[in-house]
This record gives sequence, C-alpha cells and structure tokens, in this order.
Amino acid sequence: MNALKILVCFKVTPDFEALREADWVAGAAVPPGAAGPAGVAAGVETRYVPRVFNCFDESALETALRLYEAAPGPGAGPEGASAAAAECVTAAGGGTAPARDAPGGDAAGVALAALSIGGPEADPFLKTLQALGYRPTIRVRADANLDFAPDVVASIIEGCVRRVAHSDLLLLGCRSGPGDSGTVPFLAAERLGWPCLTQVTEVERAGADRVRVAYVADDGPARVTVRLPCVLAVGNAVVSRLRVPTLSARLAQRGARIEEVDAADLGVDVAAGLERRTCVLTGLEAIDRRRQGIVIGGGSPREKARALFDRHLRERIERL
Amino acid sequence: MNLSREAIVEALQNLLGTENVVTDELILKESSIDRFRMFEGIHGVYTQPIPAAVAMAQSTEQVGDVLRFANEHGVNVVPRTGRTATEGGLETAVADSVVLDGSGMNRILSIDAYNMQATCQCGVPLQVLEDRLREQGLTTGHSPQSKPLAHMGGLVATRSIGQFSTLYGGIEDMVVGLEAVFPDGTVTRIKNVPRRAVGPDIRHVVIGNEGTLCYITEVTVKLFPYLPENNVFLGYTVTDMKTGFEVLREVMVNGYRPSVARLYDPADGAYHFSHFLPESLSILIFVAEGPAGVAAATAAGIEAIVTAHAECRKVESRYISTWFADLNWGPEKIAKEREDILQTGNINRTTEVSGDWGAINDIYENALRRIIAEIPDITMAGGHSSHSYINGTNMYFNYFYNVVDCGPEGEVSKYHTPINRIICEETLRFGGAIVHHHGLGKARTPWAKDEYGSSFHILETLKGAFDPNGIMNKGTIIPA
Repeated sequence: MNALKILVCFKVTPDFEALREADWVAGAAVPPGAAGPAGVAAGVETRYVPRVFNCFDESALETALRLYEAAPGPGAGPEGASAAAAECVTAAGGGTAPARDAPGGDAAGVALAALSIGGPEADPFLKTLQALGYRPTIRVRADANLDFAPDVVASIIEGCVRRVAHSDLLLLGCRSGPGDSGTVPFLAAERLGWPCLTQVTEVERAGADRVRVAYVADDGPARVTVRLPCVLAVGNAVVSRLRVPTLSARLAQRGARIEEVDAADLGVDVAAGLERRTCVLTGLEAIDRRRQGIVIGGGSPREKARALFDRHLRERIERL
Repeated sequence: MNLSREAIVEALQNLLGTENVVTDELILKESSIDRFRMFEGIHGVYTQPIPAAVAMAQSTEQVGDVLRFANEHGVNVVPRTGRTATEGGLETAVADSVVLDGSGMNRILSIDAYNMQATCQCGVPLQVLEDRLREQGLTTGHSPQSKPLAHMGGLVATRSIGQFSTLYGGIEDMVVGLEAVFPDGTVTRIKNVPRRAVGPDIRHVVIGNEGTLCYITEVTVKLFPYLPENNVFLGYTVTDMKTGFEVLREVMVNGYRPSVARLYDPADGAYHFSHFLPESLSILIFVAEGPAGVAAATAAGIEAIVTAHAECRKVESRYISTWFADLNWGPEKIAKEREDILQTGNINRTTEVSGDWGAINDIYENALRRIIAEIPDITMAGGHSSHSYINGTNMYFNYFYNVVDCGPEGEVSKYHTPINRIICEETLRFGGAIVHHHGLGKARTPWAKDEYGSSFHILETLKGAFDPNGIMNKGTIIPA
C-alpha cells in the first residue's frame, strides 16, 4: 500500500511582534507587477526583525508530524525520519502527542514534504524541518515580492504538488501575516481540482484514503471525513507550536539537500502573474487598542469588592 | 518549630489582619517555587513543601512583626517581592514556611532631582519607577530583562544587574542607602550619602543577601540623566569568540564605557539575529550613550578598536536598535513561553558566571563542549557575554532542551542541575565566579563552599550573627 504523501506549505514571515510601532509605516508601495526589494513587505520595512514560521503554517507542520507518528508500523516515511521525529517529540506530561500505535486503522505510512517560496532566508527553517523528518524540503526560488499575489503563489503550489511532491494531502495555514488575502488555499484547491476545508483544527487518518477533519464552520465546530486528495487550511488548531529538533538530529541531517526549484520549471510565469496583480498597499492606519481602566479604591479587599459590585456590576446584573 | 500550620496562620492573621494572609491552596502551591521549577509549575506539579501562608506585609512594622514572630517560633521565612527569581531562592524548602511578600509596599517615597537619588519601598516595580523618572528626563540606569516585572527590594536582594551595566554598574553601584529588618525585628537604616569611609561598607551585608539575613523594605538609588536621543547602536560580526573577547577587553582596557557591550556566539546569535547574522559567525554589540559628545566619542573609539580587527565586519545599526527595543520580558512573553513549553516540552534555561579575561574563553569553550557531549536532548546550546569590566567579563550560557522520558518533577534533576554542575565545575576550575547576577538561590548553593573557599567563614559568621535561629530562607546561599 502506498504511503500517504503530505505536502505542507509554509511561509517565513517577519516577526511582527518585534516590529516597533514607529516602523508601521507604508513606504513606497510596490506597484503592480514590480518586484519589491528583498525584505520589504509591501511597503512596510521588515528587514530589521527576525523571521519566524507563519503561525498557522506552524500548526500545519506539527499536525503533519503527528499524522506521521500516528501511522502504524514501520513508517513509510523517508529513511531516518522516524528516528529524527521520535527523538524530538514528546513533552513530558505534555500529553498531547499521540503514540505511534494510536489511531490510524489500516492506513499506510505517511511521507512528509515541505515547501516554501522565497529566498535563502527560508533555508534555516527548511533545515529545521529536515531534522524533524521532512523529506524532501523544497524551496521555490522567488526574488519578487509575492505579497498580494495569491494567484501566483497558488499556481506555484499546484506545480509543486503535480511535478515534484506528487502529494495526496496539501496542508497549509489558512492565512499568513498582516495584509494577507487568505485566498491561497482556495485558489490552490481550485487549480488542483481538490476539495478544500478551512479553519481546520485537528486531522487524523481514517483509513488508507481518508482523513477525519475537525474544523470550525460558520455555525460552530464540526467534524467530517474527507476522501483524499484534498486541501486542508489550518486555522486556530489545537496544536499550534512546532516541536524543536535536538542538536544531534540537526547534526545527523547536516548534509541533507534542500531542493531548489525555479517557478518556471513548475510552469509558472511569475512576472506575468505579477503584472495581473491589482492590489497594492497604499497606507496604514493604526487600530486604537487601548482599553479603559478604572482603579477601584478602598482599604480592604472586602471594601473593594463592595465598590466593584455597587458601582459597576449591580446595574448590569439587574438588567439581565 | 513547635507551631502547627493552623497556629502559624492564626498568628499571622492577628499580626497583619485576615485580609493580608493568603491561604488559598493554589496560591500556596505557586508560592512554593520560582522560575527555577517553572516546568513543574506549568504542569501543575509541585514537589516542594507547601508554605503555611503568604503574608502580605504593608509596612516595615508589619515586616518586623512577622519576622519577630517567626524568629521566636522557628518558622522558616521566604522573603519576596516581584517573584521573578530564577534560581530557586523563593522555594519554600521547609514545611509550613511563611512567604513574606512585600509587593504591597509599593510607594515611591521621593524623587530628588537635585541630589539625583530616588527612594522607594521594596515593592515598587522598577518599570513604574523608571516610567516616573523618564517623565522627568531621569533614569536609574538599571534595566534588567525582568524590568517590567521585578520589584526594587528583590533586585537589591539578589545583586541584580541591568543591560546598561557597563556604564552604570550593577545594583550594588546604584544603592546609596536602604532600610532592612532583621530576624529579631530590628529595623536598620543606612543613610544616603555620596560615599563614606567609616569602616566596612555595611550596605554589602544587605545587598545580595537573598533573604537569608534580613528583609529589605526600602532602597535609595542614584539617578542619571536620560538621554536616549544620543544613543549610538553598533554591531559587528566576528569570526570567533576568542577574538570577540579580545575586542571587548580592548574596549574596556582603553577606557571606553559603552552602556552595552555584548558578544554572542553563533548558536545564541542565531537565536536572536538569524535574519542578518551569517551562520557560524559571532556578533559584537555596543550601545554608546550619555551626553552627545560622550556618546559620539565612545562610539568613535569603539569603532576604531573593532575595525582594527580584520575578523570583524560592521552591520547596519538599525538591526541592533530594533532588536534592543524588543528585549525585555513582560507578561505577554511569559504567557507565550508557558504555552510553548506546554506544547513542545522544550524549555530555555540560562546559567551566568564570570571570569577574568585570561579565563573566560576557557570557561566558555569547556563548559559548552561538555554540555553538548554529556547532556541528552539538547536543542540549542550557546551563550553570550553581556557585562564587561576592566579585568574580565561574564558568560551567560543560554540553552534549550526537550524534556523527554521523565515527568515534570524530573526535569531539574535530569537536565538543569547536571548542566549547572558542568558550568560551575568549569568556572571554578578556571578561577571564575559561579554566579554573575541571578543569585545563588537554592540551585547553585551546593557549590557555595567551593565558590567562597576560605572566605566562607565570613559568610557563615554573618549568618550566625544575624540569623542565629536559621529562620531566613533556609537552603539559600548557605547549604542546609
């Protein structure tokens, strides 16, 4: 029985938490079709802050690792992946990582591949994934700024699925950083002709050609079983942090190669795609997130509690 | 001790009032540890004896009342304020201890801009004091990473140091006077003067006592003009740590006093600077501050020293200023760290030591080599120097590991203590100090006698004189 081939797409984004408030300035907006300078995200200067996994993609990467672990028997993953993954799993007492003999039924093993688009800044992240058992790790070279170009990104993903990874399941975050359109999963699914589920929170195998998916629908949480192939866009997942590989796992993968691919080799004309881009950043406006606070006086906790109730809670409770 | 838990609580309620004596079970459990056992705490596992109560003192008199009561009845007292301790100093090692909390003593008593000193109670958060001072164009010059959370009493009690120490010094250089209460209830005040030569400097009996001799209730610290507009941020890649230490030494020996002088090794550097630091390189960071002319001259002098080393390459200043603006730890980062640890089982620990210029690279290389070779499940091991002096510098070992094949209660004994042992052994072997600025706590007290050598006599005698009944923070500094 063939292994389930999972391709996880991830974006390396600036750590916007580390961006100073003063840096949230729209610089010269990148005109449609023009290649933005490296590191400049649609006019906001982000060169000076560290890079991180886009948080939703990080959830997707860890979700895939857990699917791999849950597969029965000697995994059909690439040689060495099992040991590498096993070495870095499992928080003591964390308790959420499933054991290898956990649900999986008669499903075959799992093979994991990772894809990112961009420059060499993604390589340290791809090396981390190698140490966690991802193979192959693919970087599609792109010098251009692809923000606000979801069509181009989706076509690269499609090309990678069809020509390089030959995947059955595409996992990716439902969106990336600020300003993201959130349409890449839908566009990729449309191009592939696969069903797409969004706001996914958990995934488990349900036989050789199906996965059981928990997701958040408009009317609340839901669970469905989906036949493969499919696209799953991970939202606020139960699992949101990617495990950390040990130094020895990193050393063991030191010579492992990152597959670099040109978009043209995937049949994608990036320049032409960017020419069609219609969305540009023209300005930024800060959202006022200040909250009003009231300091409640009083000598003792009892007096403070009484003041809280009398002045702020009593009327609201009576209105209920 | 001859009192029951209930009797201790009742006595405290009589002294402080019921509302100032906390006996909630969860709070007591959380009060039995500090960040040294945070892995246990995050998982809700508590292995230390649970205290009888947390006593929230509101005045110096109440601190005296509690200490006098504890001293008479042999009750162990663990003093605390901001609860940011990292080395087990706040652990209640004895059953039915009293945690004496001064966070309610939080008034800034005076800001004297003419004599350039500020006086505050022990529970004033440093961030609050700094914010007030900066409104007036002043600063304490003290800026530890814990600034958003730490309180003045605890900072003095642990001989804290800040990120700008190379210019302003450690807390011991800033404290001009203080008030402290000893176990028998005696309140002592050391007055605020520029300098004195009236015998031994008794401030240093109190500063750094880690709650083992007395309770610090009030401190007066020096003030400085706050001139951030003059700050110059400098960064240089460097091919190896040995050269980096040489550059730091030259900067110090040639008389320059940047507020920040740091050297990160490739592993620790990658953790902070992977967006611009090439793999395998170390990085030197400096901040020059003060009046415009001083800052400019300091920066120019450092630039001349560094550029004479072919192994160094300058990086854009804005990388350094942006990084520095996001360095401190507030509640948000603590909350994120907690979630990271819960989900991944991966935890970050640090151990800071110091050594003279002739020893520091040996300490760094040997300790790091042994950690990587001897400790399992390491995911990152590196370090940086962040506080330099005319005769040497510190090394802040920074390491992460996955906690595997043991419960939360096994984390300290399987990983953290063995790593501390390696670092302490290598530091002592090369003549360094096993703690630079976190305090001994209980974590590194097992090596206290080796650290002190024959001078342990002085420490032991102080303890015997001021705390003859041994009620102050048992197990901290003095091995139990």
